[in-house]
Amino acid sequence: MNHIDIIALALRNLRQSRLRTILTMLGVVIGVGAIVTMVSFGLGLQRNLLRDAFARIDLFTSITIIGPGADALLAQSDGREEDGGTPEQPPARVLDAAALAELRAIPGVRYVQPQITYQGIVRYAGRTRRIAVGGAPDNIDFNPRFNDLLAGRYLQSPSSAEILITERFLANMQRRPGSPRSGGGPFRPAPLKSDEERRREAETAIGQTLTLLTLSGGPGGPAESTESVFGIPLPGNSNTINTAGYEERVFQVVGVLRTGEGIDFMPGGNALAWLPFAEVERLRQVQGDPLRQLGEMIAGESGYQNLELRVADLSQVEAVREELRRRGFNFFSISNQLEEVRRVFLIVNASLALIGGLALLVASFGISNTMIMSIRERTREIGIMKAIGGSDGEIMRIFFFEAGLIGLAGGVLGLIAGWGVDRLANLLANRWIARQAGQGLRQIDFFSIPWYLAAGAILFALLVSLIAAIYPARHAAKVDPVIALR
Amino acid sequence: MSILEAVNVTREYRMKAETVRALNGVTVRIAPGEFVSIIGTSGSGKSTLLNLFGGLDRPTSGEIRFDGRSLSTASSREMSRYRLESVGMIFQSFNLIPTMTARENVALALAFAGAGRQVRLEQAAELLTRVGLQNRLDHLPTELSGGEQQRVSIARAIANHPRVLLADEPTGNLDSRRAAEILEILAGMREADGRTIILVTHDQQLATRHADRIVRLRDGLVED
Repeated sequence: MNHIDIIALALRNLRQSRLRTILTMLGVVIGVGAIVTMVSFGLGLQRNLLRDAFARIDLFTSITIIGPGADALLAQSDGREEDGGTPEQPPARVLDAAALAELRAIPGVRYVQPQITYQGIVRYAGRTRRIAVGGAPDNIDFNPRFNDLLAGRYLQSPSSAEILITERFLANMQRRPGSPRSGGGPFRPAPLKSDEERRREAETAIGQTLTLLTLSGGPGGPAESTESVFGIPLPGNSNTINTAGYEERVFQVVGVLRTGEGIDFMPGGNALAWLPFAEVERLRQVQGDPLRQLGEMIAGESGYQNLELRVADLSQVEAVREELRRRGFNFFSISNQLEEVRRVFLIVNASLALIGGLALLVASFGISNTMIMSIRERTREIGIMKAIGGSDGEIMRIFFFEAGLIGLAGGVLGLIAGWGVDRLANLLANRWIARQAGQGLRQIDFFSIPWYLAAGAILFALLVSLIAAIYPARHAAKVDPVIALR
Repeated sequence: MSILEAVNVTREYRMKAETVRALNGVTVRIAPGEFVSIIGTSGSGKSTLLNLFGGLDRPTSGEIRFDGRSLSTASSREMSRYRLESVGMIFQSFNLIPTMTARENVALALAFAGAGRQVRLEQAAELLTRVGLQNRLDHLPTELSGGEQQRVSIARAIANHPRVLLADEPTGNLDSRRAAEILEILAGMREADGRTIILVTHDQQLATRHADRIVRLRDGLVED
């Protein structure tokens, strides 16, 4: 008897007890539906968070070299260090001019740019804040982040009185002091504004003036009093900060940088505004950044806190990392952090799949039960088939095919059901977001059903069904025809 | 040379604590083309012997030989092959699959032999025509009379051209007129195709009507 005949027999048997078949299949549908919905949610989350990161190759070719300053010491105390940050590790190398030259000479290095930030007091649109101002590189050819402007242009000359601000700077300036900080970490929710709105807001900032207040004295002073006095939030106006002893410098806003969605790996960390590199360097000297002085006190040596190193080609990243390790530089790069994020998602997705898998496990007992009942009822039929020449293998195959058909059909329907649940949930979620945040938003797809999830879910359902049929099918094959026909 | 032999066959069944001996050292030889009736009262072991001949069961001791070859060493796969090709069985209760039409029941035996769908449906129709059921091809067993059902089962038994037909009380559920018709058909199978027929019955008169020879069983032994 060939497989087509066996499938025909199996189908005929399933049709004969239609209700029981449908109920058994429903168990599989629910199990597969649960797996598909759960895992597609996990995968959707992963995709939405990492989409930008994976799409941009420049993230992977960037390595941050951490100096021995306060920043590096902080990093070591939080366990933030990524590469060989074991306690036995010798202290990181000083990032001075000699180190810069050495790094530039490593094969595969495209450029090395010191990352400097400076904590400045900024007055903008009638409000005063303390923010981090970054030193913008002179050459942005390999730094695509600086090309992603919502409005305006990049800094034109290293010495001009121009400043580049970020979208987050505008948001921070609009925020009432003391209200919860939004978008602090690298994972920030996608902004709920349309591109059009964002661009319009950014346009209004172009040409505005921004006043930078620089303390001409040493550390301490009013640097701590930023947005609140003794923890009491104050409305942002210039009267709240004592500006005596500050030197005022006026800059003109020439461009607004877009704040990325998903992970925002901006070189220079959380700088909200950017001045030409030389300018920030000078301001740091003038002000005497307390962190920097602390770093110098501990490390006994100056140098930059961080350097951004760009590797020319993705394939050379590992070699450059190895070389940096050998030369004793303390560094950090995104590629191993992404590995970490991926690993977390693998665990999350596996847990979600497990929950769905439990539903399928329950369904598999249903399949076993249905098969056993069906074999009980059909004992005589099995006896007849054996008496007229049906072999044990053929009898067994009939039942495997029955279970397999239930699993396959249940798997396909379950996939469709899971997809349907995803679409419905997506529709409701987007509608809810629209109601909360107004119209004109980009629709977000929270779920993702890649082909391997679809195929995997169906195959898994088939596999589970076949396993559930092992005992019943063997039982059927062992039916004694003499007893069955008595 | 015998086509079927039972040589010193015993068959014991274990029922809870006690062992029931259905056959107690039976030796029977059937020649090719012979029509043999096996008669005996209920519990004499006649059905047990037929099941052994039909390859549905194996003896506790002794051996069954078909065409000179012992079935003792046959694997379960070889036994199913034997049931498929070498013998055809007919039962008192017909044993048709109730959800299949007459034609499908016959075709099922052909399917186990590997015949394609079209071929087996045609052959099933021919076989049913041969037993006079050409107008009942697509009837379910419940739509057929007892005699008609038994004719379907005969058509099914000869579907794969076995050399031996084994009939276990084939007329037990039929009135005397239908019973006679069934026996005529079986006798005709021997006349036309030279098939060996082994008929198990408790009916003395039926047993003698077409048989060349009668084997009497009592309490698991052959009576002389």
